[in-house]
Amino acid sequence: MTHEFGLFLIRYLHVISGIMWIGILWYFNFVQIPSMPKIPDEQKPAIGKVIAPEALFWFRWGAFFTVLFGLLLAMMNGYLMDALLLKEPNIGIGMWLGLIMAFNVWFIIWPAQKVALGIVEADAADKPACARRAMLFSRTNTMLSIPMLASMISVQNPIM
Amino acid sequence: MAKILESLQLTIIAGIVLTVIMVFATEAIYNGQMSAPEKAASDMMRQMN
Repeated sequence: MTHEFGLFLIRYLHVISGIMWIGILWYFNFVQIPSMPKIPDEQKPAIGKVIAPEALFWFRWGAFFTVLFGLLLAMMNGYLMDALLLKEPNIGIGMWLGLIMAFNVWFIIWPAQKVALGIVEADAADKPACARRAMLFSRTNTMLSIPMLASMISVQNPIM
Repeated sequence: MAKILESLQLTIIAGIVLTVIMVFATEAIYNGQMSAPEKAASDMMRQMN
C-alpha cells in the first residue's frame, strides 16, 4: 500500500466516521428532541428504550473513530503537533473543537444518557437532571459543530 | 448560556457567530506568527488581489 493510498483511506474513514457522528448529533437536535413533546406518552418508550440507545451506540463510536482517524491523518501528513499547538490554526482550531466535542460525548453526554434512559441503575430523581445535562451538552456540540466543520473545510478552501 | 442552548434557533445563531469569531482568530494567529518581512509580503499580495 502506497503512502498516498494510505492517506486517501484514512481520510475516507475519517469523513465516513464524521458523517456518522455529526449526522446522529444533528438527528438528536434537529429531529428527536423537538419531536418528543409531540409523541404520545404510550409511544415514548419506543424512542427511549429502542431508538435512542441504538443511536447512542453509533453516535459515541462515530465520535471515537472520527477522532482516531483524524489524529492518524494529521500524523501521517506531518502536521499533528503544529495543529495542536495552533501553529497551523486553520486545522488546529477545528481539531481542538472536535476533541472537546468528543470529550463531551464520552465523558458527559453518554454517562448522563445512561442514567436518563435507565441503562444503568440510578435514583429516579436523578433522571431529569441527567436528561437535561445530556441535552445541554448535545446542544453545545451542535453549536461547536458549525465552526468545527468550517475549520475543517477551510484547510482545502480558505475562508479569507 | 443555558437559555441559548435550550433554543435550537439560538444555538445555530451562536454557532454562526462562533464561526465568524474563529475566522478572525485564525487570521490573527497567522498574522501574529509572521515575521515583519513575511507580513509585508503578505499585505502586498493581498493588495494585488
